Amino acid sequence: MKRPFYILLLIISTVLQAEAQNPAWIVPDDQKGKISLLKFTPDMAKQGEVIYMKNCQSCHGIPTKKNFAAIVPSPGDLSEPIVGNQKDGELFYRITTGKAPMPEFRNILTEDERWTVISFLRSFHKGYVQPDPEKLAASAGRRIKLSMVYDTAKRKIMVKAVELTKEGPRPAQGAVIVLFVQRYFGNMQMADPKTTSESGYAGFEWPQDLPGDKAGRVILSAKVSDPTGSMQEAVVRDTLSIGVPTDKPALTDTRAMWSTRDKSPVWVILTYTLAVIVVWYFIIYIILSVLDIRKIKELNL
Amino acid sequence: MDKIISDLSHHIRLNKGFFLWMGFLVLALLACTYAYILQLRYGLGVAGLRDYISWGLYISNFVFFVASSLVGMLISAVLGLIGLKWVHPITRIAETIAVAFAAVAGLVIVMDMGRPERLANVFIYARFQSPILWDVTVITTYFVISLLLLFIPMIPDMAVLHKRFGSLPSWLKPVYKTLSLNWTDHPEQNRIIHRSVYILLILIIPAALSIHTVTSWLFALTVRPGWDSTIFGPYFVSGAFVAGSAAVIIAMFVFRKSYKLQDYLTDLHFNNMGKVLVLVAFVYLYFNINEYLVPGYKLKRADAVHLSELMTGHFALMFWIVQLGGLLIPIILLLFRSMRRPLPLTLISIAVFIGAWFKRYLIVVPTMSHPFLPIQHVPENFRVYTPTLIEIAITLFSFILVLIIITLISKFFPVIPVVETARDKGLDPLKRIES
Ligand code: HEC
Repeated sequence: MKRPFYILLLIISTVLQAEAQNPAWIVPDDQKGKISLLKFTPDMAKQGEVIYMKNCQSCHGIPTKKNFAAIVPSPGDLSEPIVGNQKDGELFYRITTGKAPMPEFRNILTEDERWTVISFLRSFHKGYVQPDPEKLAASAGRRIKLSMVYDTAKRKIMVKAVELTKEGPRPAQGAVIVLFVQRYFGNMQMADPKTTSESGYAGFEWPQDLPGDKAGRVILSAKVSDPTGSMQEAVVRDTLSIGVPTDKPALTDTRAMWSTRDKSPVWVILTYTLAVIVVWYFIIYIILSVLDIRKIKELNL
Repeated sequence: MDKIISDLSHHIRLNKGFFLWMGFLVLALLACTYAYILQLRYGLGVAGLRDYISWGLYISNFVFFVASSLVGMLISAVLGLIGLKWVHPITRIAETIAVAFAAVAGLVIVMDMGRPERLANVFIYARFQSPILWDVTVITTYFVISLLLLFIPMIPDMAVLHKRFGSLPSWLKPVYKTLSLNWTDHPEQNRIIHRSVYILLILIIPAALSIHTVTSWLFALTVRPGWDSTIFGPYFVSGAFVAGSAAVIIAMFVFRKSYKLQDYLTDLHFNNMGKVLVLVAFVYLYFNINEYLVPGYKLKRADAVHLSELMTGHFALMFWIVQLGGLLIPIILLLFRSMRRPLPLTLISIAVFIGAWFKRYLIVVPTMSHPFLPIQHVPENFRVYTPTLIEIAITLFSFILVLIIITLISKFFPVIPVVETARDKGLDPLKRIES
């Protein structure tokens, strides 16, 4: 009787051990109340599906199909009640921060995109009622709209922040702006973040030697960075012709070591081919002449 | 003459020992084949290989095989062309080892492929710039040259044994007859053989140097710490001579015992091979010092991580055992004549041989575990490489295959050149054939 008991104990404690290795994923209280300022509509859910298929499906599978990836901890099917019963703010927090192995989507999806995915998930949650966005909008932080221009005289990028209030737009003072320029892969931050002045402007020195494309175009984006949440996320993207026109041939245009076979350097082709021909000429020559030994039968004594 | 023939060929028959040994090898091979079938079915994931450390046991083993096969060139070409007569009885052993290791080396690469059925793509989409194409080319070439160097000098032996060796198994007779190419000691025939061997001996030097140099370039043409080195070619080549010489000594010992060749593989041969081993080991030690001291003095950041992992970190135990037990201590011991007697020399060679295998592991794996970009957000088994049982079984498979090839060649052909031995003793094998 004792032995099975110990075995069970061993198994159970091992399982508990394994469970314990996955620390709980706690959402801070002040994040739980966060809600979407956009009304979830069937249209929005459809857009959310596209984002979901691209970013989440590989692990979570297709909702309701339970075909999520077999990894530990299990990602689970997001149409389940265990997800449906969570508040919008909780889901938003989890998607934003991630938890290994789930990546954090903070810098991969914009806030709007994250809400769009949630609207897709919500379409599977029976009995879900969205908190009224209109009512809560007031308490959700200031709504900011950004725009940018290049000031040729000052050689500065001027980012303008406008706050949208009930009384109409007015310059937003004290917004912290970060400016990025797009490069081959991802964005590069330009200079330190700047705070907008009374007139709602933040100016960024523009380096005069930054390469652009053939026409000198560079793609810039500015964003309000506000960790306290007193301002809503705002982003502006613009293409400006203020870089140095650069027309470098693509790295694979000419013959090079790293290029395709058709563009191998001539000396490599020649060296390789020549070496192979010379060595194999001798090998084949030797094989043939050794086979000749058979023909020399008669011993001339 | 009769004594030489019977001494050097009495082992060519099917006896119980042979069946036991081959049966054992074949069974072991089958067991390991099962491991490979598992890998084919479930993919390379059954090995400990992951995204970051994608080169492990298989590639280390490949490098080791290519290294061991290099000795054919050292013994036959370098020592042979210098005109050292004592190497004559050893040349065939060296070539057999070269052929076996070179043949299986290519197979080891196929074992490291997740989709071996796409092997042909290596050739269909070959890029002239790719060291992989160069490697495939030179290894094939080296294998063919070694095979020719094994069989062309054997032509007279085949003829003599076919005509004069009474107890030659009957099923081997047609094989010997075909391989003898109707050799009758005609001067013209001998001229062809002599000239062919001569050309091959010259050809095999650049071919052998390139196989291991190109293999080293598979590593050295990257910028990773531990591989980014300009002396990797000679470093690998000198290391190859160490592994290969040790292999030849072990084989000499085994053949001498089991085929009763004491009169032909004498203490003199062991003594001389011991000297060869200590010489190449010294050269290799010299390259080792360069390879660790130069980056160790400058201590660029990535190199510092790499070297400290090797010398004091995760790989330290293996590293010091290999460097001391597989290189330094053998060198010191081999300086003494008494250590170059057959038994102690063979034991030392075994240590060197095993050390050489682990040395390849130390060249391949530690560098892989330190990529320039940090390893993040991956399960623990992506960070640390531990070979799995299946992987070890597949590696054993390749070793068993080498043993099978060596056994078959040495069992059905004279291990020591018959005609050459007779001539060295001033005897004339051919006159007797005619009479
Ligand atoms: C690399 C795989 C992976 C990807 C991609 C991924 N997730 Fe996850 N996700 C997980 C894992 C694993 C968990 C469970 C974590 C835990 O419980 O510790 C999880 C948990 C969650 C949870 C919490 C579920 C619960 O039971 O509380 C939500 C919500 C979620 N993911 C949403 C998403 C969304 C939306 C996306 C796409 C934008 C996404 N995930 C992409 C692996 C992934």
